Amino acid sequence: MTETELIKKIQELKKIRPRKDWVVLAKREIFREEYPVIEKRLSILEIFPRLFHYYRPVLATFVFLGIIAIAALGLAQNTLPGDTLYSVKRISEKGRVVFISEINKPKAHLELANKRLEELTKIAENNQIQKLAPAINEVQASVSQVVKDLKASKKITEEIVEQTKKIEESQEKVEALGVIVGGVEEFDNTLSQLVEREIKDLENKILSEEKTRLLEQAKADFENGNFSAALEKIWLISNN
Amino acid sequence: MNDCQKKFSQLYDQCIDKIYRFVFLKVNSQEVAEDLTSETFLRGWRTFQNQDRKIDNPSAFLYQIARNLVVDFYREKGKAQLVSPELVSINDPNNNPEEAALLGSDIDTVRHCLTNLKEDYQNVIIWHYLDDLPVPEIAKITKKPEGTIRVTLHRALKALKNEMGQIA
Repeated sequence: MTETELIKKIQELKKIRPRKDWVVLAKREIFREEYPVIEKRLSILEIFPRLFHYYRPVLATFVFLGIIAIAALGLAQNTLPGDTLYSVKRISEKGRVVFISEINKPKAHLELANKRLEELTKIAENNQIQKLAPAINEVQASVSQVVKDLKASKKITEEIVEQTKKIEESQEKVEALGVIVGGVEEFDNTLSQLVEREIKDLENKILSEEKTRLLEQAKADFENGNFSAALEKIWLISNN
Repeated sequence: MNDCQKKFSQLYDQCIDKIYRFVFLKVNSQEVAEDLTSETFLRGWRTFQNQDRKIDNPSAFLYQIARNLVVDFYREKGKAQLVSPELVSINDPNNNPEEAALLGSDIDTVRHCLTNLKEDYQNVIIWHYLDDLPVPEIAKITKKPEGTIRVTLHRALKALKNEMGQIA
């Protein structure tokens, strides 16, 4: 047998072919396997360990950072202006305010202004001179926010009255310690305008004898510059 | 059908006969050949979908998978030969019974002799004379120099001739 004859015989093996129906079926099966993971419909219990396995370093980093953040937040709660972690405290407070509804924001801002005044009082009492300037700046910034809220405020609530009173008290306490906070006059002016507006509004209304008496007292407080007391009485007239 | 599927579908149509034949000539069983061939394409498809891994020569890649599957098959099952080549008839529905008997006899002889050759010789004969792969491509699949492939081809033909001579 020559080489050519042998090759010809070998090439006869080209007649070996797969079944046509199997060829079609196998192709269909292969493409059906396109997304084997999805088709298997893994349960949550199966997915979680896999995710945990693949993303273990990332998860560990997140957990570590989470622990650090929680520890920093905890430590920051007792800090005062000028302390290293004080900015963490401010960020967490701002974060909390973001999630408060617009109606409750003035109250939240008033609370923060009170906190700032309390911090300033603490610093003044402990004679921490180097922290005075940052503390005063913080008070001014928070009072300025309160002023904005009061100007926009259309309704006097119990909380506003209460917090305003507290601010006035804290302000007096700080001033008694010899610390003068510039910029707080604007707060007094705004409060005075608010009280004046409310008194005029009530004057045009028909009031009971009791309420008329309260209004007269509020006017007297207003004249004496005791705006928070006047505001309290206005609130009593409006809500009783 | 997306672009990737279309490409692989074309590759499947081009190579299915060759890969099936390649596997069939080694396992001598239609059932096993079908299983290993579909597994070859399934693995090929999974790799093909992975865009990050570029396949330079898809048909060579499929042959490589098929070779590995055949090796695994014999290793796992411990079978040197599943069915005697004499017992497996070749599916050729186009011939009439007389022609089929003559042709079948010839084909079976070649197939039987081919099965008796060592694996390297079988592979080069199948690739070069049946699948019409040029020597450089066989060199790529086997990762051997072209000269070595030419020598192996020459020796494989000689060995097959001897086998055929013994049967005649």
